Amino acid sequence: MLLVDIVLPGLVLGGMYALIALGLTLQYGVARIMNLSYGESLVAAAFGAFSLYSGFGLSPLAALLFAVPVAMALNWLLYRFLLERLMRRGKDRGAQEIDSILVTFGVLFVIQGAMLVAFGGQYYSYSYLSIPVVVLGSTLAVNRLVALLFAALVGGAVYLALTRTRIGTAVRAIAVDANAARLVGIDVAALSGLAFAFGGGLVAVGGVLVSMFLTFNAAMGVVFTMKALVVVIMGGVGNVMGALVAGLLLGIVETAVARLVDPGLTLAATYTLFLGVLLIKPTGLFGRAAS
Amino acid sequence: MTAPVRTLLWCAGVALAAAIVAYPLYANGYYLALGISVLYFTILATAWAMFSGPTRYISLATVAFFGLGAYTAAVLGETMPWPVVLLAAAGVGALTAVITGLSTLRLSGIYFVIFSFGLAELIRQLVIWYEVNIHKSVGRYLFSAVTQDILYWQLLGLAALVFLVGWLLGRSRYGLALRAIGADETAASHSGIDATRVKLGVFVLSATFIAMTGAVMAPRWTYIDPAIAFNPTISFQVVIMALLGGAGSLFGPVLGVIPLVLLFEVLTATLPNHFSIVLGIVFVLIVMVLPNGVIGLFGAGRSRVPAERRAAASARTMDAPLLGVEGVSKSFSGLRAVDDVSFTVAPGEIIGIIGPNGSGKTTLLNTLSGALRPSSGTIRLGGTVLNGLRAHQIARLGLARTFQLVRVMPDMTVAENVAAARLFSTSGGSDATGSELLDLVGLGAMHEAPAGDLTYIDQKRLELARALALQPRLVLLDEWLAGLNPSELEAGIALIAKLRDRGLTIIMVEHVMDAIRALCGHCIVMNAGSVIARGAPDEVLTDPKVVAAYLGGEDA
Repeated sequence: MLLVDIVLPGLVLGGMYALIALGLTLQYGVARIMNLSYGESLVAAAFGAFSLYSGFGLSPLAALLFAVPVAMALNWLLYRFLLERLMRRGKDRGAQEIDSILVTFGVLFVIQGAMLVAFGGQYYSYSYLSIPVVVLGSTLAVNRLVALLFAALVGGAVYLALTRTRIGTAVRAIAVDANAARLVGIDVAALSGLAFAFGGGLVAVGGVLVSMFLTFNAAMGVVFTMKALVVVIMGGVGNVMGALVAGLLLGIVETAVARLVDPGLTLAATYTLFLGVLLIKPTGLFGRAAS
Repeated sequence: MTAPVRTLLWCAGVALAAAIVAYPLYANGYYLALGISVLYFTILATAWAMFSGPTRYISLATVAFFGLGAYTAAVLGETMPWPVVLLAAAGVGALTAVITGLSTLRLSGIYFVIFSFGLAELIRQLVIWYEVNIHKSVGRYLFSAVTQDILYWQLLGLAALVFLVGWLLGRSRYGLALRAIGADETAASHSGIDATRVKLGVFVLSATFIAMTGAVMAPRWTYIDPAIAFNPTISFQVVIMALLGGAGSLFGPVLGVIPLVLLFEVLTATLPNHFSIVLGIVFVLIVMVLPNGVIGLFGAGRSRVPAERRAAASARTMDAPLLGVEGVSKSFSGLRAVDDVSFTVAPGEIIGIIGPNGSGKTTLLNTLSGALRPSSGTIRLGGTVLNGLRAHQIARLGLARTFQLVRVMPDMTVAENVAAARLFSTSGGSDATGSELLDLVGLGAMHEAPAGDLTYIDQKRLELARALALQPRLVLLDEWLAGLNPSELEAGIALIAKLRDRGLTIIMVEHVMDAIRALCGHCIVMNAGSVIARGAPDEVLTDPKVVAAYLGGEDA
């Protein structure tokens, strides 16, 4: 059945998009840093999982236990030593955003260069849990279903942490207005750093999980950054549930275009959808009115 | 500067120009190639900064236009004469810029950056799709008789053209308009600047130059495919070069191009594998340490204010009301912020609008000035219906305003702030020059101060001078007197009285009742979006409905 053939693989693909966008939701949506090196961090985590798997036979799910704390520490250092300074220097949010875009643009090339030196330009992949299962007549791989499950679990946990805990509430207050948050006694620099580091940890989750089923190389970070950006903006900046839904939607649209129109035009479809959302509802499909 | 020194400088300049023009005659292959790199990055960085410098819309799409230009040359190069190819490349670049500009320049800065980041990738995908499905081969071979010397001179000519156009643009009113938009787009629109059109025009201009550079550079490769022509590193290099040099001025980018082209050259030769790591670190350092670029270190880069333009005063005699507001409402999804408001304002009158906070006063002003569109009702200025006009059109018709939260263009000088409002003004009225207006509001000694450094009261004065510079028939003051101390308040009231005596018509939203009593002949009281009382200030202020609105009624 054509509809099932589109919707099921679309949902699985979309689950992956939602997963890779979760970290950016925290970094851009909450810590207000437009991290252009996002995709490179993700690919770096994928390389990390690959090395642990091929070198030590460690399963990617166990590799998460290493990758996430390391990524959080690195991202915290990045925030503490580069980005925090820019946040203090920028006169308004616009200037801060532009500065952070520019610096992370530089970081993008540093990470990419390091990966090129270590792994060269060729493609890598390995096989883990690539067991086919048949769901409603379509064949899907178990590792992709695991990624979908993680996206739902992690997304739900982040959503609850942001809305149900004191720290989460403070972090959301910073996202709305950092100056006002400071006035009510919130340590803006420390919590923004925490949110950024946490986002970095989620990037690592995404990178490790997609490495189970995607072929990747050192130069493809940009693709992930763009996908994550499209999902975050479509979902409404800082809106975790929005990002989940937007990710799934994007997966379905891409699968539909690939199946019904031309596989070469999926990226064009992504951008068209992205631009459409920006023009019609710049605050995202589920966003509130602009402040 | 004495005459001999000047002659010497002139001679040095001419000698340098001659050395640059004659460069291919004495430089060998390697150095000529280096010269070509410097030139083409100079054009790209200068063209990039032409748009992105003043507006601060950081475009990461340079290579999209560059690659389109190169591809146009590759496709047409063998069948058409070269000038036609160049024109076609310029046309393709301009057309793409119009389409992307029209759709993205309405977005706020950050979304523009993101979209431009993806644009190169999108165009590359479309080109690949076209080549694979229509042309049936991904790569193309270029056979061209263009030697390195000719390539160099073509680039030199293009570079000269970019600088000439950039210089003319900086001197024209569009240059200042662009900087005003970069500083505060809302304030610029309310000063009569058509922000969308100015941005689009300069974006297209910049993209045209970038596309032409791509076309000129195409013969340098003998084989071209989308990965070469749309290599994203080019966009990145252009941005860091322009930022290193200083994107805010015409000759800033070139200061960044020369050292970085040399650095990249050394890096490719010595550390080819670590090229992108070093590139990234250099970039991070530039952004962290030199936010205003090399040229910022010298404090240069402030462009001149265009000469004062004096608009001819046209005497208008008007019997009809100047402003007619009929049944205007504004709803925000269910909330009626302004509900069926009607009033008229006669020429020379000061009308006060008062009411508790949240009663819809500022929303009403926003519908008058074009910041918001009324949901229903009619607004007429003179005989012209304002409904549906955009902020800059309304400003040009002679309706000026100030903002409740003061908006000046912080990086521009006081004089430039006022000049920005005179750029496109067409209405008649007072014909005071900018400096007379600054004297009038009491900023006569501050012409060259950056507006962002002024105190709060002085920023409010500047905002008023900027509004008056539009030569308005009607000025809307949104709590212009709020936050002033008692002596400043007295001076402020005297200033508004002086404006009234000069024949200006004013609508003022105000909480300072002393000012309302002193200045307004007539006032309107709003509560919950509707007009609840109108008349002379002393009458309405004792009206029980008004007292109840302010203090809470018995049934509230």
